[in-house]
Amino acid sequence: MSSPSAESTVGGRTAGNTFAGDVWVNFKRWNLKAVRNPFVLVVSLAQPFIFLVLFTEVFGNVAGGAVSRGLPGVDYTTFLVPAIAIQVALASAVTSGIGLVNDIENGMFEKVLVSPMNRTAVFVGKTAAEVFRIAVQIAIILGLGVLLGAELATGVVGAAGIIAVGIVFSMWFIAFSNVLAVLTRDQESTIIGANLLQLPLLFLSSAFLPLAALPGWIQTFARLNPVTYGVDAARAIMVDEDVMTVLDVTAFDGALNTIVPAVAALVGLGVAFGAVAVSLLSRASSSDVR
Amino acid sequence: MSNDQSASAPGSRRERTRSSSADPPDDASIDIDGLELIYGDGTAAVRRVDMRVAEGEFFGFLGPNGAGKTTTIKVLATLLSPTAGEVRVNGFDVRTAPRDVRKSIGYMAQETSIDPELTAEENVRFACEAYGVPRGERDERTAELLDLVDLASVADKRSEEFSGGMKKRLDAATALVHRPPLVFLDEPTTGLDPQARNRLWEYFERLNERGTTIFLTTQYLEEADRLCERLAVILDGEIVADGSPADLKRQVGGDVLDIELQGDGDTSGRAVAIARDFEAFDDATVEETDAGISVTAETARQSGTDLLVALRDAGVIVTGFNIRAPTLDDVFLAITGERVDTDGEPAEVPS
Repeated sequence: MSSPSAESTVGGRTAGNTFAGDVWVNFKRWNLKAVRNPFVLVVSLAQPFIFLVLFTEVFGNVAGGAVSRGLPGVDYTTFLVPAIAIQVALASAVTSGIGLVNDIENGMFEKVLVSPMNRTAVFVGKTAAEVFRIAVQIAIILGLGVLLGAELATGVVGAAGIIAVGIVFSMWFIAFSNVLAVLTRDQESTIIGANLLQLPLLFLSSAFLPLAALPGWIQTFARLNPVTYGVDAARAIMVDEDVMTVLDVTAFDGALNTIVPAVAALVGLGVAFGAVAVSLLSRASSSDVR
Repeated sequence: MSNDQSASAPGSRRERTRSSSADPPDDASIDIDGLELIYGDGTAAVRRVDMRVAEGEFFGFLGPNGAGKTTTIKVLATLLSPTAGEVRVNGFDVRTAPRDVRKSIGYMAQETSIDPELTAEENVRFACEAYGVPRGERDERTAELLDLVDLASVADKRSEEFSGGMKKRLDAATALVHRPPLVFLDEPTTGLDPQARNRLWEYFERLNERGTTIFLTTQYLEEADRLCERLAVILDGEIVADGSPADLKRQVGGDVLDIELQGDGDTSGRAVAIARDFEAFDDATVEETDAGISVTAETARQSGTDLLVALRDAGVIVTGFNIRAPTLDDVFLAITGERVDTDGEPAEVPS
């Protein structure tokens, strides 16, 4: 790999980064762009935060009963915080595709393609920056949730676990928003396409109420909805109990009966969507004329 | 990096050119042999192009919109893979050693390509990092390039606030971070005001004086005339003319007499007939223009007035005339049958 020729000089210059170097260069660029756009950062946090406050205030009393029937001793704020964490991951993942469309529109996509950077490293760096932002945002939501009275049964380790679940969950939606971006190559279509899905996905899942309290058709849909698995895994860590109702797994211990199958489902989904996104991205950046 | 690539890239390009007998004997920056590019829908954007650009040359690539200019440049920059033919850039095959090609070229796309959310300085710095400019040299290189393109005073401003000309200059700076021996400029001044254009011309000339080979496409023939040592004209995917601007102008065949006439197309038609029958111009090319007619002939200067007299005698009213040396516009017209639309929109990108 690192034969002398890898450091070959062209035009008298040392040229060529390592794979990790290329990842880092792109990671830095996308973080810089995120910081330059505090508006996007704030908006993707604001809506989930508003949900958190409004839902607990408006539905807290009503929903609290439904929650405590299934999970005795758990209040609605504690029930809701993991769902909001997943909502943040969902809202933030959309910006991945939007960033790609913007790059295609302002020519940076092509500029990167003519550079000697490794193309896989380019996308890994960009995605890493987005995942990093999701982690920070979930951490903020967890902090706010605790301030609002939510109880995190598993403490700091649990918080890290919820962030990890959020990241695993975000993969399929990051991939999905990139697929939209490559297919539409249009900023507005990507935003609308991804945002339109967000609310139905959230409401038709176990996010805001226990599934037992919802109509049968929603329960059926929720079983197929990735949000259910993300929320259930995060919630299992939050309350340290087996909260999953769509699958009945008993092979593990307590909360793991939710976490293991949910994370497995999310990983599978992430790989499936990721494969589609990777193949579309490599077609979009390939030099083959189609 | 595959073994293939490392084997074909030992040390610098110069060493390589000498060490391999298969390479052209002299230093060619670009060597295209039988290039063909057919898009997936069957459109042949480039039919058969053979072309050489020598090291240090300021080379102009002209042609009407859709003739294959951008497609050719994209093949040279490894953005498109040739359907057939062999293409070497700085000695590297675009198909087998694309990364070596990318390291050794600067590419400025037709559409201005900068990150509007980053400052001028950050844009150049990102390019430095992308091209692996050594860490210790990045500060100096960035400052030097921003200075070169006159953006040092706005280095910390976000580039989305810049004018079109400033964005183009910033784009040019990012294409030069690794001091590439060869730079592609795809219509670099389209849409700029004359002042901004002049400034960019000066940068390009300075760059070329430092030894950089420049491959330029342009819609402005005046630009090609001023900057380029050698030109090639592409039409429908094939090279139809090649030479220095002076060579090409000579091929037009003489000087040009533009005559403005009073009246409509009828009048022009009669004037064309008179000019064609005019004995002093045995080799003349006569065309109708918007204002009247245009006559190109070796003896346009000597016998032009006689033609004007003949027109008057035939009752055609001449309202103005001008005898001039041919320009590249005339060359272009003679070759392609099309006038270049110099105040038009940026050319369409074939896709």
